[in-house]
Formats: sequence, C-alpha cells, structure tokens
Amino acid sequence: MRYLMTSLPSDTAREPDEKLHAEVGAFVEELTAAGVLLATGGLDSPTMTTSRNGEFTVTDGPFAEAKEVAVSFALVDVRSKEEAIEISRRFFQIVGDGTGYIQQVL
Amino acid sequence: MTDAHSTVGAVWKLESARVVAGLTRMVHDVGLAEELAQDALVAALEQWPVQGVPDNPGAWLMAIAKRRAVDHIRRSRTLERKQEQLAHETHEVHEAAEAAEAAEAPERDDVLRLMFMSCHPVLPTEARVALTLRLVGGLTAQEIARAFLVSETVIARRIADAKRTLADNGVRFELPDGADLAARLSDVLGVIYLIFNEGYSATSGDDLMRPGLCLEARRLGGLLAELAPDEAEVHGLVALMEIQASREAARTGPSGEPVQLHEQNRGRWDPLLIRRGFTAMLRARDAGGPPGPYVLQAAIAVCHAQARRAEDTDWDQIAALYDALIRLLPTPVVRLNRAVAVGMARGPRAGLDLLDSLTADPALRDYHLLPGVRGDLLHRLGRYKEARREFQRAASLTRNAAERAFLERRAEEIETPETDGPTLGEAAEAFLARDDLDAQTIRSYGQTLRRLRLGLGDRTPLASLTADQVTKVFRTAWGDAAAKTWNRHRSAVRSFASWADLDDLAAGLERRAEVRAKPAALEPAYLDALWSRTDIPLRERTLWRLLQESAAPVRTVLSLNVEDLDLEDRRARTAKGAWVTWRSGTARLLPELLAGRTRGPVFLADRRPAPARMPAEADLCPETGRGRLSYERAEYLFKQATKSLDPTGDGHTLRSLRSRP
Repeated sequence: MRYLMTSLPSDTAREPDEKLHAEVGAFVEELTAAGVLLATGGLDSPTMTTSRNGEFTVTDGPFAEAKEVAVSFALVDVRSKEEAIEISRRFFQIVGDGTGYIQQVL
Repeated sequence: MTDAHSTVGAVWKLESARVVAGLTRMVHDVGLAEELAQDALVAALEQWPVQGVPDNPGAWLMAIAKRRAVDHIRRSRTLERKQEQLAHETHEVHEAAEAAEAAEAPERDDVLRLMFMSCHPVLPTEARVALTLRLVGGLTAQEIARAFLVSETVIARRIADAKRTLADNGVRFELPDGADLAARLSDVLGVIYLIFNEGYSATSGDDLMRPGLCLEARRLGGLLAELAPDEAEVHGLVALMEIQASREAARTGPSGEPVQLHEQNRGRWDPLLIRRGFTAMLRARDAGGPPGPYVLQAAIAVCHAQARRAEDTDWDQIAALYDALIRLLPTPVVRLNRAVAVGMARGPRAGLDLLDSLTADPALRDYHLLPGVRGDLLHRLGRYKEARREFQRAASLTRNAAERAFLERRAEEIETPETDGPTLGEAAEAFLARDDLDAQTIRSYGQTLRRLRLGLGDRTPLASLTADQVTKVFRTAWGDAAAKTWNRHRSAVRSFASWADLDDLAAGLERRAEVRAKPAALEPAYLDALWSRTDIPLRERTLWRLLQESAAPVRTVLSLNVEDLDLEDRRARTAKGAWVTWRSGTARLLPELLAGRTRGPVFLADRRPAPARMPAEADLCPETGRGRLSYERAEYLFKQATKSLDPTGDGHTLRSLRSRP
C-alpha cells in the first residue's frame, strides 16, 4: 500500500543543524534500504490555479494560512496504515513536534 | 485512530528480523531465538497499551528479548553446572554476560545470516518460503497461510519442522565461505523470487495477484541488496521484481481479467518502480561479472519497460537475451518465453517451430500457457480453427479462474463455422456412458480419454483425429510408464477407436512386452526360520511347504483335491494331468491336515461360505461344508506372516516360495 505522507511546518520543530541533518539522513537511508521509501522531498510554496466558469486564474503563494502548506513529503510503500503511522511517529521523534498527514495513494 | 495492538504489529514487522537475528547469534538456535523474540512481542502487547509505545520500540523489543535470552542461558548453565564443578561458575556467567553484550549491537550481517539460514538447502522449498516470511518478514503463521491458501496449522507445522530440521542438521548461524556463497545466495534469491511469483501470478484461486506477497518479496530483495551490495545477481533480481511489479496496475482489466503485456496500457505502468528497476540494473552492471540468470531476465524486463508502445518493443534484442538466458536456465518456461520472443522477432512460423519442440516435454504437459501461446501463434498464422482449440485447451488446464475466463473468451472470439460431426469431448462422453462397461473399466478408460482430451482439446473434431496426434500425447504422458500401464492405455484407445469407427488410432503405439520380474528366491536360512515358527496354522505351513517342495504354480496347488493325492508316492495328479510332487516336509504335514477327509479341496477356507456366495460343488468340502482357499486369501496370509521377516516390511508373495535360488 502506498501512502503519501506530508508534514506541515511548525514553530516547535528542532532547529535544523548538522546533527538533525545526519539523523534525518540516517532515517531516510534506513527506510530506503528497507524498501519502504519510494520518494521524498520538500515543497516550495504552491501556485494555485483556478478555473471558475471557464475562467482560468493563477495565484502565487504564500498564502495567509502558511501553516497548512506542506513543506516536506514522503511517498512510502508499506504493509499497513499502522506502519505508515509508525514511520510518522519516528519522523517526529527526530525532527521534533509538528503536524503531518497520511493519505493512501489509491 | 489506531490501537496499540496494531502498532505493536506494525513495529514487530519492521523490527522482527533484526531482533530474531541478534538473538540467534546469542543462543545459536533459531527456534529458541524466535520463541524468545515472541516473548518480547507478548510483553509489548501487554505493556505498550498501558505505558505507551516506547521511544525506540526496536531497542525495547531487543532489550526484553535479550534479557530473556540471558535468563535462558543462565538457567541452562545452572542445570549443566550441577554436574560440573563450581569453579567454572564465574567463567560461565561471564560468558553469558559476554553473549548479552554481543547482542547489544546486532551486527549488520546478522539479518543476512538469518536469511541464509531460513533458505538453507537442507529444508524443502515450501519450508524455506514459510520460514523466511516468518523470520525475516515478520509475518504471522496466519498471514502466511492466507497468502498461500493453506491452513494455519499447515504453516505452523511447516515452520516448526523447519526449525527442527535446522537444529537436527546442526546448521550454523554464519555466512558461507567464498566458494559456497554464490550457491547459497542463489538459494536465497530463489526463495525470494518464488515468493514474488506466488504473489505475481497466483497459481490458484480467484485472484490473479496477491500484492502483499509481491511487496514482501521486493522488501526482502531490497534488504538483501543492502546486505550483499557487491552481488550482481541480487540487484538483477531486485530490478526484475521492480519492473514486473511496475506493470501490476496494467495487468488486469476492469473485471479482473488478465491483460497481456503487448496489450497493456503502458500509461498505467508505474514509472517510479521502473526507475527503481533501472537503478538496480545499473548497480548490477557496476557489480560486474558475466550476467547471471536474474540479470538477463531483468534485462529482458528492461527492454519491455523501455518501449513506449508495444510496437516499439525491441524483439530482436529480447530474442537475443533469451538465447543467452536459455544457456543458463534451460527451463521449460524460459524455452516457452523464448518461443514467444522468437515468434515476435522472426515471425510466428519460427515461434511455432520452437514451440512444437516443447509440446513433447512432460514437464509442460499440463501447463496452460503452452497451448495459450500456441493458440496465439496459430491465430497470427491465420489457422483460426486450430487456434481456437488451443485456447479452449489452455482454458481447461488453468486453475486460475480469471485466466480461464480470459482464455475462454479468446476462444469464443474466433469465429469459425462449426465443424460437422462430434468432437473428441462429446465422443469420449458418449463412449464412457455406454451401459455395457463395468465401473472399473469406465474408470480406467476414463483416465486414458481424459489425458487425450487434455492433450488434444475437447473441441477437436473426432473425424480429424490422427494416430500421430495420439502417439504424441502418449509419448508425453506415458513414455516412461511401465509396459503394463502403457498397454492398458493403449487398449483403451483401441477400444475407443473401434467403437467410434475410426481407423486404428493406436497405430503408432506398439504393444510393449511385459516382462514379469521373477521374484527373488528366498534364502534357505529364511525358509528355515519360517518353518521353525510355531505360530503358523497347520494349513499355511502345509501349503507353503508344498509350494516350496513342488515348485508348482500357486493356482495348481490350491486346486488340488484330496482324492487326487497319492500320499504313498508323495505326488498328486492335477486336473490337467500333470504331476505335483513333494518331499518329506510336506509328507509329514499332509495327513494331519487331511484329518481323514476323502474328498473335496485339500486347502479349505476358514469358514463356510455364505448362502449368497456359494461356490461350485467341486470347490466345496462335502464333509465340512467349507469352500476352497482362495488365491487372494492365501497370498494375504503369507504376506502378513512374512512382514516381520522382510527387511522392506512389505512381506513376500507366494510365488517367491516356488522359486529356486
């Protein structure tokens, strides 16, 4: 089962330093080795496109509710939703507090 | 959202391989290690719901399991120590502590060792699969059972037996040496690919795929690739599985029917997995060495993956890769796939030629893809009628429901005018439905005809049947069979042909000479032992002696009547006028057996016959009313009596008594 995991930026996260980079790096490596991690990356603030009554508009971010904008994502292949949740738990253990979403890719 | 139990389950799957591997290194017994690890799992199930999931659940599990292991080592040491001197004590405890220390930081290779162990050649294949999924994949017996559509008990027993076999054979928890490594590694690869294939092309059941098993296999492959990064074949296998898995979504149509490679919507192929496959291929190439079977198969998969449209497929390249693969892996399935590739690269005629050299292979006798592919090639050659029959035959051979429906539809799609006259299937049914055959004959004929129908197709018009076709089926099915079996099937065909008013279909089948092996003569010492036994009834002793001394056929001896005997001259005249003679051993016993009788069979049955089964008068004793001892009963009694003396435990036949050494 594939899950797209996204995490939102937060004020309570650890300050990024070399140690954090190393820990996240090791975590990513472990997940890759276990065949879990398919893709991962960060996201810039989005550009929104809208089509209303056939009229197409482009709106550049950032938006007011910056908190709801995804900053990093991981696409994982796991046996169950519980495994995805466990991975998320371990992720936040490394980076500090925050919020994330787990959505199955259908 | 999620309860603690499923969290424990998820964590367990992620960590169990490392925990079990680390423990195995401590206790040197994979069965015990797994039990200890299970104890830790139970502890987690008890404690986590109350205390919450620990920060590092893997380390937590390992610590608990390790503590149990140390306890265990101490306990068993204590037992040993009772017989030993106390002086050893400090040393022993020290050693246990050392072992615990070692388990603290599991070695990177522990999991690899565990894989070598669970795929060890002393285990039967099924056991390797179950044990690998259990120990390395962390699956429960129930999950494995569900994946393979067998009962949980079967899997549990398989795993228990496997652990015992490993222990009994003293299989060590170690990495094989250089020379051994390649062979053992290919065992591991074989098990992983088997798991993948069971998931990818489910051999039975209603689903075409069981994605869970595919994922598990890919996961095991990835793990192995990390542990043995210098082995090209490992990366080859990973590449092969990734690329095959990339087609998963495109392999089935809306109603679950299989979609063949060249008809798949390539937009549904998973580019992510294809890219991972390509990456693995690059790693395989970097590892170097001549390409092995997995690398070659992966290369073929890469060729397919590179073609944007089916018609862009580089069939020449694929056919060339198959030419190389067939030298390393000349399995029937590879030969079949090669025929497909050649059929694409060099035309259906060339493919068909290769394929027809395969139809006589007994291994492919019931393999539905053979007629399936053949139907395809015939279809492309415009030989529609034959193509349709092949598709129908393929449908009757597959055990997979989705595939069967697909093949049946392919057959139906070919529109050809119905042929006149009955088909082979109809004729066979009618033949077997005759009421002048007894049940046993019907059963026997049925076997023969079933094989013919599977081999030639039910819809083959009866009139088109040739002796050549029949011969071919026969050679494939019963080429190695005993003469007796061969002749039985042969006469079934002859009987069918004459009933159906066809030319002799068995024309190409020669009757085989049945040589009846003469049973080995019994050793004199053996006979002495037999004669000295006191637990044998008089009738049997007399019969056996007489057989041995006269060397006459069993039936002749059993047919003797009292009035035929000449006790003085130690001989009897048989119904055919020949003489049966005996010597002192029989002469001593006979008068006692006859007990004054003057007429009727010499050897009598134990009981009087039931009224409904009254034998002919000649077979009845006028004095006792008992019937004649039957061959079958006499044979049975001898077998029973000699079982304990026969090293094979089967017992001997009466014929072995009359053979002279």
